[in-house]
This record gives sequence, C-alpha cells and structure tokens, in this order.
Amino acid sequence: MDNKKIKAGITVFPGSNCDADVYRVLNGVFGISASFIWHKDKIKDLGGYNFIVIPGGFSYGDYLRSGALAARSPVMEYIKDYASKGGIVLGICNGFQILLEAGLLSGVMLTNNSLKFECKDVYLKTLNTETPFTCALKKDSLLKMPIAHHDGNYFAEKKIIERLNDKNAVIFKYCDENGSITELSNPNGSMHNIAGISNENVNVMGLMPHPERSSEKILGSEDGGYIFQSIIKYIKER
Amino acid sequence: MGNVSDKKNDVKKTEKLFGLSSEEYSKISELLGHEPDAFELGIFAAMWSEHCSYKSSKVYLKTLPTEGGKVLIGPGENAGVVDFGDGDVLVFKMESHNHPSFIEPFQGSATGVGGIMRDIFTMGARPVANLNSLRFGSFSHPRTPYYLSEVVKGIGFYGNCMGVPTVGGEVVFDECYNDNILVNAFTIGIAKKDGIFLSSKCEEGNIVVYVGSSTGMDGIHGATMASEEFDLKKNKKRSTVQVGDPFTEKLLLEACLEAMEKKLIVSIQDMGAAGLTSSSFEMADKSRKGMIINLDAVPLRTSEMTPVEMMLSESQERMLLACGKDQFDELKAVFDKWGLNCVEVGEVIKEKEIRFFYKSKLYKTLDVDTIVNGPEYKRPVKKPEYLNSVKPLKTDNYKIPEDLNDTAVKIITHPNIASKKSVFTQYDYTIGTATVVPPGFSAAVLRANGSGAGKKGFLLNASGNSKYTYLDPFTGGALAVTECARNITACGGYPVAITDCLNFASPEDPEVMWQFANAVEGIKSAALKLNTPVISGNVSFYNETAKKEGDKTTVHKIYPTPVIGMLGFIDDVENAVTPYFKSEGDEIYILGRLSGNLGGSLYMGLEHGNFMQKPSEIDLDYEASLQNCLRSLINKGFLKSASDVSEGGIFVSLAESAITCPNQTLGFAVNYDTAKNSARIDSFLFSEFEQAFIISVDKQLSGRQKAAVSEICAEYGIKLEKIGEVKKGVMKINDKIDLKSDKIKEGYFSVI
Repeated sequence: MDNKKIKAGITVFPGSNCDADVYRVLNGVFGISASFIWHKDKIKDLGGYNFIVIPGGFSYGDYLRSGALAARSPVMEYIKDYASKGGIVLGICNGFQILLEAGLLSGVMLTNNSLKFECKDVYLKTLNTETPFTCALKKDSLLKMPIAHHDGNYFAEKKIIERLNDKNAVIFKYCDENGSITELSNPNGSMHNIAGISNENVNVMGLMPHPERSSEKILGSEDGGYIFQSIIKYIKER
Repeated sequence: MGNVSDKKNDVKKTEKLFGLSSEEYSKISELLGHEPDAFELGIFAAMWSEHCSYKSSKVYLKTLPTEGGKVLIGPGENAGVVDFGDGDVLVFKMESHNHPSFIEPFQGSATGVGGIMRDIFTMGARPVANLNSLRFGSFSHPRTPYYLSEVVKGIGFYGNCMGVPTVGGEVVFDECYNDNILVNAFTIGIAKKDGIFLSSKCEEGNIVVYVGSSTGMDGIHGATMASEEFDLKKNKKRSTVQVGDPFTEKLLLEACLEAMEKKLIVSIQDMGAAGLTSSSFEMADKSRKGMIINLDAVPLRTSEMTPVEMMLSESQERMLLACGKDQFDELKAVFDKWGLNCVEVGEVIKEKEIRFFYKSKLYKTLDVDTIVNGPEYKRPVKKPEYLNSVKPLKTDNYKIPEDLNDTAVKIITHPNIASKKSVFTQYDYTIGTATVVPPGFSAAVLRANGSGAGKKGFLLNASGNSKYTYLDPFTGGALAVTECARNITACGGYPVAITDCLNFASPEDPEVMWQFANAVEGIKSAALKLNTPVISGNVSFYNETAKKEGDKTTVHKIYPTPVIGMLGFIDDVENAVTPYFKSEGDEIYILGRLSGNLGGSLYMGLEHGNFMQKPSEIDLDYEASLQNCLRSLINKGFLKSASDVSEGGIFVSLAESAITCPNQTLGFAVNYDTAKNSARIDSFLFSEFEQAFIISVDKQLSGRQKAAVSEICAEYGIKLEKIGEVKKGVMKINDKIDLKSDKIKEGYFSVI
C-alpha cells in the first residue's frame, strides 16, 4: 500500500496552532494524504479517514480549562463515534487535553508543578509496543521529543492508574537519557512520570510531547517520527 | 487619568494631560482657526505625540540607509520587507512597549508582542518567529523578580498561544532601569512576494471595514502616555495599558490571511497606538485619499463611550481595512467563520479629509494633511557633562587581582552573563518545525519551510549594549549593529537587513538628544559598512522617572539603549555552526585582533568598582573583513565552533563554548603568551572590545586543509593564532585560571 493512499484527518479548532505542523509532517515527511477537518464541518462519518490527529494549540484560548471547550465541539461527537468503532485517534499536547476532557481517555491535566510554561526536549520510555502508535518500536525504546505546554501534569485517582497499568494503557513515561524513570526527568510533575496513555482498546492515544516537531534530523531528533511510522505500519498491516 | 469628556469647557483642564506643549496647542488652534475641542485635541495629541509622529527623531532617522541589497520595502509601512528568493519575502520589525510594561508588566509585554505581530500580518505575512530584548533594573532590586517573571509570562502567554515560536532575545539587568524597564519585541513573518498588503492602496469608493475585537475603554491615551516621563507619585496610568487576548488575535490572524489569500482586501492597517485615529488618518494619508467614518457603526464593549474615546481607545486585536464594494459580503463570511466582528464603518472618498458621523449626523471634518503632518523638531543637542570624565583606561593604575579564578567565577555567574535558559524555556521555541538552532546560542537559525525552499534558512539576533552607548554613544550604536552581525556570522550566515528600536530618555534634554544623534550616527556607519539597511524601527523616548528623594526631585534616566534586530540568510541550514566546542582534542584559535582595553568592561565594574572609561572605537573596515573571513572559513567547512568575543571577554567566550554543549561538558587548556603580546593577563581574559572570534577546528585537519585555512585568513588580512585545545572537565588558562567545568556550568545555569 502506497503511503499516499493513507488518509489522515487533522482537526482544527479556533486556537489550534500545531495543525499546520502536523499537516506538513504527515504530507511532506511521510507522504500520506492528510487534510484538515474544521470543527464545524459536518462530516458525520469519519470512516473515510485511516486515522485522526487532534493537534496541539490553545483551542478556544484554553479558556475555562485546557481542552474543555473543544471537547464539547460538534466534531468531537463524530470522533467519539469513530473511536468507538475502533478508529485510530492521536491527541498531541492540547489534543491530549481535549481527549481527556471528552472522556475518551481517563484522568485530568493539572498545571505544571513549576507553574510555568515549559518548552524543552525530554526523553520518553516506550512501555507498550502493541499499539497502533508504537508498533514500529521495540519495548523500552527511548525517544527524544520536545514538550511545550503549561498544563501537562497528568493526574488520576488511584483506581484509574491501577486500571491503566492493568490494561498496559500507559504507553510513554518521562525518563532521563539513560532510560531511568526519575523525578528529575519529570518535566511537569505528572503522576508516575506519565507522558502518554491510551484507552483500553489502545486505538486512542494522547501524549504531551510533540512527535511532529521531532520527525526530521535537522530539528534535532527524528524519534517522534516512529509514532507516525507505527501508525502507517499498523494501517498497512491491518 | 480620569475620563475624557467631549465638552468644550474641559479642554483647558485636559490640555496638559494630552501631552502637547503650549506652542503645539497654539499651532493647532491656528491650523483649525479656533480652539480645539476635546475630540480635535485628542486626535491631534495622539497623532502629534512623539510615539506616533517621531517629531524629535525624524531628522536623524532620515539619515539612515534604508535601501539596497535585498530590501523591497523600507520604513514607512507597518514593517519592512526583504526578498528571500524563490518568490518569498520576509517582513520584520521591532517595537518597544516600555511604558505599559512598567505600569503593568504582564499585559504590557503581552500586548507588545501582540502589537508587533499584528504589524507583520497586516502586511500579509504569517509570523514565523519572535525575538525580544528586555532590560530590567538591578538584579538585586526588590522589584526585579516581579518584573522579570511577569514580563516573561506575558511574552510567553501571547506568543505561545499564537503559535509563533520565540526563538531568542536578550535579558539585561542594570540599575538604570530600576524605574523604567524596557520591553522590545521583534516579529518576522513570511509572505509571497506578490501577496504583500499595504496601507496605501485605498481607492475612492472602497468600503472602510472594521474587523476584530470590539472597542473598549482600555489603552485610551496610550500613545500620549508613552510620550511622557513617569512620575512615581502619580502612579495612576493603569487605564492607559491595553489588555491582550491572544486567542482573538490568533483568530484575527487566520481570518486576515484567509481574506488576503482570497484577494478580498484592498488596503489594511492595524489599530495599534492611537487605535482608530492613526489607522484611519494614516491609511487615508498614504493612499492620498480621505474617508467617511461612521462612529455609530464602531463595535463597542460599552455603550457609554464618547467619540473621542472611540478614536483613542487602544483595545487590542483590531484592524481597519478597505475592500471593494462587491467584496464585502465575501469578506464578512470569512470573518464570520472565525467568529469576529466585520463591520462597514465608512467609505473612501476623494477629498483628503475625514468626515466623522456620530448619532447619524456629520460630527466633525478634519483635514488629513493637517493632522498627519505634525511638527518636526531639530531639538537642541549638547555633549553630556559626564562624558568629560570618561577617559581611556590607564590599566597600570589597577592591580591584577590575586585570585583570577575568583574573578572568573564572579564574571561567568554575573546575571548579565549567566544563562537565560530559565527564561526562554517559558517560550515555545519549537513550534513551526523550523527552529534549527534554538535560543541560548549566538543567533537563532530557522529553516524555510515553504515548498521548494530547499535547505535555505534565515538567522535572527537582537543585541544592544547600553553601557557602551552611555560611555560612547557613537561606538555603542555601531557595536549594536556589529554585535548582531557577529552573532549571525558566527553561525555561518550573512547579515541582510536590520530593524532598530531606540530607547532613550527625554528628547527635551539636549544631552539625551546628543546621545541619540551620535548613537544613530554609529548605527548608520556600521549599517553602511556591513551593508545592512535599516528597514523598520521604532523610537521610545521619555524612559525616565522623576523621583522625590527628600526635598529634592531627581530625574532617573536610562542609559541610551539602541537595540538592533538583524536578519541574516544562510544557503544551507545544515552548515550552520553552533558556538560550543564539539570534541576533546579540537584546536582552539583566536581569529582577529585583541585590543586588550579593559575600559568600560564588566571586569572593571565588578573587580575595581569603576567602569567609567572609554570603550575602544571599532574599526569597521577591519570588522567587515573579519566577518567575511570567518564566513568563508565556515562555508568551507573548516570550523567546528565559532563564538564572538563580547561582554565578559575571552574568558566568557571560552567558558560558554565549553559548557553550553547540550549533551556533554567540555573544557579547555589555553596558553597565551602575554609577554610576547605585551598584554596583561586580566586584559587578555576580560577585555570586551575585541574584534575577534574564538573558533575550534578538528585536530585531524590535514596539512593541506590547514594551509587552506591560513590562506583564507591571509587573503582577508586576519590574524589566526592557536591558543590551546579542547579538554574534558577543566578550564585552564596559563597558570592563572584553573577551574572545574562542572562547577562553572552549575553556576552559569542556576543564577537566573
């Protein structure tokens, strides 16, 4: 299957600002056919897309709570439907926050424990490789990717964390460059260093770091590209 | 400031408040043929304010080189434009937001960033990077942490939400800014050469359209406020500060660019300082037309606003534009999509006047030329008294400190030298997938992301040194330009064009005007020599504060602070060089020549408590050759690192080269023959007026390659001297400096 035949939909809310970056990388670097989905577009059946990306940004200015307003936007109803049928949905940064607010993923995002916006490179440890987002990776692979967020401090009650662990739904954790999951390598105070989680069916994943900003060598890391490569691989082999 | 009333009898009371001089007031009365009422006075005061009219600076700014090279549009429009090749252009400008940021640092800095970005996308360009240049009071001043954290938060708040990376800047602390902080914001955008929009294209019969946020009571008299000195006793200027909403600006950006793409806009100007007043009069003036403005149609946040308040409000995220009669419906559909106001507020007319309608009646007619052609002053100049005592340093009068390790540590951990990483990690610098060299190094390097752009990229840097400018305004002005160019050249780029942001005290003080005149002359000389025309800029006067101390009132003036923002180009971003050492064993050289002049240096201030000495004059011919030589060495691939010598001297260049490498900590062993060069060790280590770079090259370089390096240096007449090699973990210079890199790194990264 030619990459060009893979169709990706990128949601655009008022205030989305990583939409263009994801578009450029999916089309330009990976050669797939990505297009935008405006939040008011009435595409009730998203089945024509092989996967959906909810990109980062400040949807609705992050007013009320990060992601809270976008989660109640019409397009999210279609995405819920798409996800319930097994459709692949990736939420990056604000997209992760939206997935949490929409109830597609469990838990909440608190303000970073530094109380500041944090932009820097972090290392991630891959905990589950049996997902559409990580199937091109080996277990425990280290990925270097940038974060850029103000509210990335993942929190969930104990029961949820236990369930995430049971279902292998914690996909990525922050770690140091040697792969040790330490407090020092946690950039935002996130519970158990959680950087990315999935739903129980592992077809919906949210992560705080930006794979689209780390898919080309010239930008300092190609590691984020493995996530898109995994999705492509998964779709081709399905 | 109290409310502004429209009633005639309030005029006298508000006269002083409007910031006009009595001569200017008389002139206005003469031009109008009657005493101005509050509406007229408000408009005149805004348009004739220093901030909008450049009345004190214009005569000097006219002398700056503004054409040539890759310049397509120079000063005069919202921002300058340079040709980036392949049908693309880059649009950039730097602007100050000093006064609002001192009054309310979070909103002041945020709206400074918002304002400069609007200047860029008004031109049809999508903003692709921001820089900023910040000056705070003394690091130990009790208010400094508040200003630092609020200003940085404000800049991040606005830029991050807009999705524009903030890729660099400077943060400087000095007690001269205790009562006047400086916030200078720079934005660059990219557009298609045939997709540039101007404010000068209005045609008779066009519809005048107001888009964006509604008009509120915020920021009224912002422009006149920025044209007055502060009086700390009357700290009541808060209502003059605008409140920013980056979310709305993001929508405005997308809506404007979409409307431009669809060719629905004829002419456009953002509502910045003096809001609806400046946008309407300037668009009319530049288009050689007039306008009808229907004030009843202006979207308001409160119904209580008077006409003059509507005209002077500096509410953010608004634009005024002109479109063809048959384009309005389609234009409105675009702004509806983004949930923004898009209201017909008038019409372009042939007569060069603006007719204001209010409550359905003709309210006032004002002549465009009269309003726009404000006064122009050649203010008195006088060489400042203090300069008589600024003499060349007699080094022999000062002893070399016994423990130079101690001195070196003091310098590398000085707030003006230490890493600003904790500042720039609060800015999103990776969004846009274009940042090749992030903030914290010489210059930011960005690649062009457009289709078919290949590997070309551009470089950005903002620099200025007010202490040098204080000690020698001409040299300080010139050094601001050359320092930017050095930072760009050290990355392998070549300088293309500049924008200037000139921050000074009151122009009514002849000594300040002398500083201004000479600093501009310095900028001009360097810009001509390095072939970097000035394509845009901004002047901020009145950065001074009257303070009552006992019975006496003293005026605290900032040092003259010209800041330059420079754009450079690079043909292949993969060839960009970073300033840090790469591997143990690499050879370290000094490229250039050393003056050894410690005068005015950080070292003199810190170690000897006196920096009031003359900086070395800069040899601009030599500088151009030096930079050409360095660029040639980089282009041939001979260099592994390059770092210029500036504040803190050679020691700081070497130390930063050793510890700023992202994934390892290196060091160096340097031996410099001070006897042979008849230099003192402290001069060698800490002199700041060196036209030189610290470079490192692979020790494996073959004899033939080394010969080629020598040949290039000879060709440009530049001296190259080996001084040592890259080591791991230690910093050694002669037998005087012996420090552990880890320790220095820890200090360097933990001060701020």
